Amino acid sequence: MTDDPYAALGVSRTASDAEIKKAYRKIARTDHPDLTDDPAAQERFKAASAAYDLLKEPEQRARFDRGEIDAQGQERPQRRYYRDFSESPDNPYRGQADFGDFSDVFADLFGQGGRSAGRQGGTRSFDMRGQDFRYTLEVDFLTAARGGTTRITLPDGQVLDVNIPAGTRDGQTIRLRGKGGPGMGEAPPGDALLALSVREDADWRTDGDDVITVLPISLDEAILGARVEAQTIDGPVMLTVPRGASSGQKLRLRGRGLQAAGGKRGDQHVELRVVMPPSIDDELARFVENWRKDHAYDPRAVRGKGGR
Amino acid sequence: MTSHSMSREEILALVPGLSDASLDALTDAGIVQPVLKGDAPRFRDIDAARLQLAVDLEDAFQLDSNALALVLSLIDQLHGLKGEMRAVLGALAAEPPETRARLRGIIRETRILRVRRR
Repeated sequence: MTDDPYAALGVSRTASDAEIKKAYRKIARTDHPDLTDDPAAQERFKAASAAYDLLKEPEQRARFDRGEIDAQGQERPQRRYYRDFSESPDNPYRGQADFGDFSDVFADLFGQGGRSAGRQGGTRSFDMRGQDFRYTLEVDFLTAARGGTTRITLPDGQVLDVNIPAGTRDGQTIRLRGKGGPGMGEAPPGDALLALSVREDADWRTDGDDVITVLPISLDEAILGARVEAQTIDGPVMLTVPRGASSGQKLRLRGRGLQAAGGKRGDQHVELRVVMPPSIDDELARFVENWRKDHAYDPRAVRGKGGR
Repeated sequence: MTSHSMSREEILALVPGLSDASLDALTDAGIVQPVLKGDAPRFRDIDAARLQLAVDLEDAFQLDSNALALVLSLIDQLHGLKGEMRAVLGALAAEPPETRARLRGIIRETRILRVRRR
């Protein structure tokens, strides 16, 4: 979820209330999950609704602009879309489907009679599996990457330890059997479906199955080479920084990435970043001045490589 | 139909943007049909979701109750058909390859070729 409600609506921070409303309506028209199947649209609509809830009240918007409140806490409670109900065969609002010549085929397959009996509130008892409850569960990057257990409390008060498998990606769903709504009659309860959202982590970026980290190194380590400690998903490892390393140079740690579907792991790419000493003392400056006299070089001589 | 239902007050609190007056209007127009239990209407989860969608649609398109009823009816039909389509596809997927090939041939004949011929 974005932290910037203006970006979620695609308006500037100076947009008028009318412009904000217009932007929200436009997104609702195209991206409402009950009107489109596009999963990305659903995310956009969710973000836009949360943003609109925050910005539609001028007073609340002013408080946000002043930094008194943040965009968090504005998310709507877990919402169940109408399609969760309307796709079900017992949607009481749906009339009989008429397939003309094929009506009897349809009735044969789907038991057309069942719906109308339900609609009239017939007295016949029936068994119906309980509803699936949907929740979103946010996990931090390392828990998702390493796997682990996280404890959650469902709205009905049940406390569960949920096992997060190693290499879990954003958007994956975990099904907890029997933790949904109660069934009717003899039918079993529904399931709880946890949509996992993996929190972004500034220290860990990903590219498919690969993980990208940045490793700061000192000037002397860059020039002379060194063994330095680098963090991986599995914990720290010692890494050899080659003599004469440049910022942006990447070292590959094979098999230290995310677990892919087949059990194989991606790689970790460690991007080196040379960090200058906090202050350039006279000794260093004098040394480099002398060094430059005989060894000047032009790192910009070869263009088009981003200085690498 | 579901075991969980709520009172008028509860549904007003649950659905953001739903006012007392609009709940009355939507009920009078038959867009939502609460379950009658005793003398007070009870609302199901499906009613909450439907009301939320109705509020979203009213707001996004400025629909009056007739237009809203029409759009919701189309959505009911479309979603219902999607559910049935999914069930058919699920049943097909479980069939052996020969059966699927035979059905593919029939579907091609009736749907793809005929549409093209027109």
